Amino acid sequence: MKILVVDDFSTMRRIIKNLLRDLGFTNTQEADDGNTALPMLQAGNFDFLVTDWNMPGMQGIDLLKAVRADDKLKSMPVLMVTAESKREQIIEAAQAGVNGYIVKPFTAATLNEKLQKIFERIDG
Amino acid sequence: MKLSNKDQLAQTIDQTKDLLAHLENNEIEDAQELIDSLASDGDDDLFIEIGKLTRNLHEALTNFQMDSRITDLAASEIPDAKERLNYVIEKTEAAANKTMDKVESCTQRSDVMAKDSEELLVEWKKLYNRELEPGDFRKLCKKIESHLEKNKNDADELHSELTEVLMAQDYQDLTGQVIRQVITLVHDVEESMVHIIKMFGSMDGYNQAKTKTTAKEGVEGPVVNVEKRDDVVQGQDEVDDLLSSLGF
Repeated sequence: MKILVVDDFSTMRRIIKNLLRDLGFTNTQEADDGNTALPMLQAGNFDFLVTDWNMPGMQGIDLLKAVRADDKLKSMPVLMVTAESKREQIIEAAQAGVNGYIVKPFTAATLNEKLQKIFERIDG
Repeated sequence: MKLSNKDQLAQTIDQTKDLLAHLENNEIEDAQELIDSLASDGDDDLFIEIGKLTRNLHEALTNFQMDSRITDLAASEIPDAKERLNYVIEKTEAAANKTMDKVESCTQRSDVMAKDSEELLVEWKKLYNRELEPGDFRKLCKKIESHLEKNKNDADELHSELTEVLMAQDYQDLTGQVIRQVITLVHDVEESMVHIIKMFGSMDGYNQAKTKTTAKEGVEGPVVNVEKRDDVVQGQDEVDDLLSSLGF
């Protein structure tokens, strides 16, 4: 399973990568905003996308919309991990087709739970 | 000269009558003297008015000098605050990275310890089950000895790395002080702005704006006053509830 982690803060990318590694996902790559992430996704056989919302350049919600609009990428599971906590934003992300939504600050258990939920739904 | 004042009016009528009398009687010197005294009465009033204006001007200038504080704020303290806040970003980032370096090293070390112990346990159980070849017992003893020695060293290493994790938290004290200074600055800026509004603007508008809660559009990052907001979720549970109500 190849996972792309998108966040503008390197420390947060590192935290997520460490947690993913503890959960057994060792094949991860990083991008610091949607503009760098999208070409990586289009070129790189990724299976899963974890993205922040608020980033300079292309924001996470726009990256999600771009993924859903791309024929090759549109079925890719997308987990949003973000500090954005307005109800209308969560609804917007859901309507744009997000598979999971985690608000920061979050715990390792929450990340694990949301990932499992997404995988169950894909397998089922 | 205040003609609205009754006595003053009466006096002026008398003086005017006198002046007319002097002129009719061709008493030029007396007339001139009266005109001069009338004019100087007016000067007194003029001086009072100028005095008032001067005082107002002086107050305005003093107030304005007080607001030269604004010049200091704009020219040096705010750029300085930007530098200070960048320092906070750098310090917290460095601390987070240092902590993660050490934590990663600790987890790798503990993974190796767990793996070594697991391998040793397998052989130890063979000993219990009498499955160990006679010559292997000596090998197992050697392995256990070196394992214990390695464990002791690893425990020491873990301890020193955890101490470094502890020390990496010293940023909190330093950044806390810097942030407190910036809070004071923001407070000063607020006071200066209120002062300007008092002098040149409308306090009514200020008070109205104060009670108005502006709805924030778009992304806004972490919400720090969750309890005062009803448009944001209070945590992951509320996110999950909202999503499941949407059929997730």
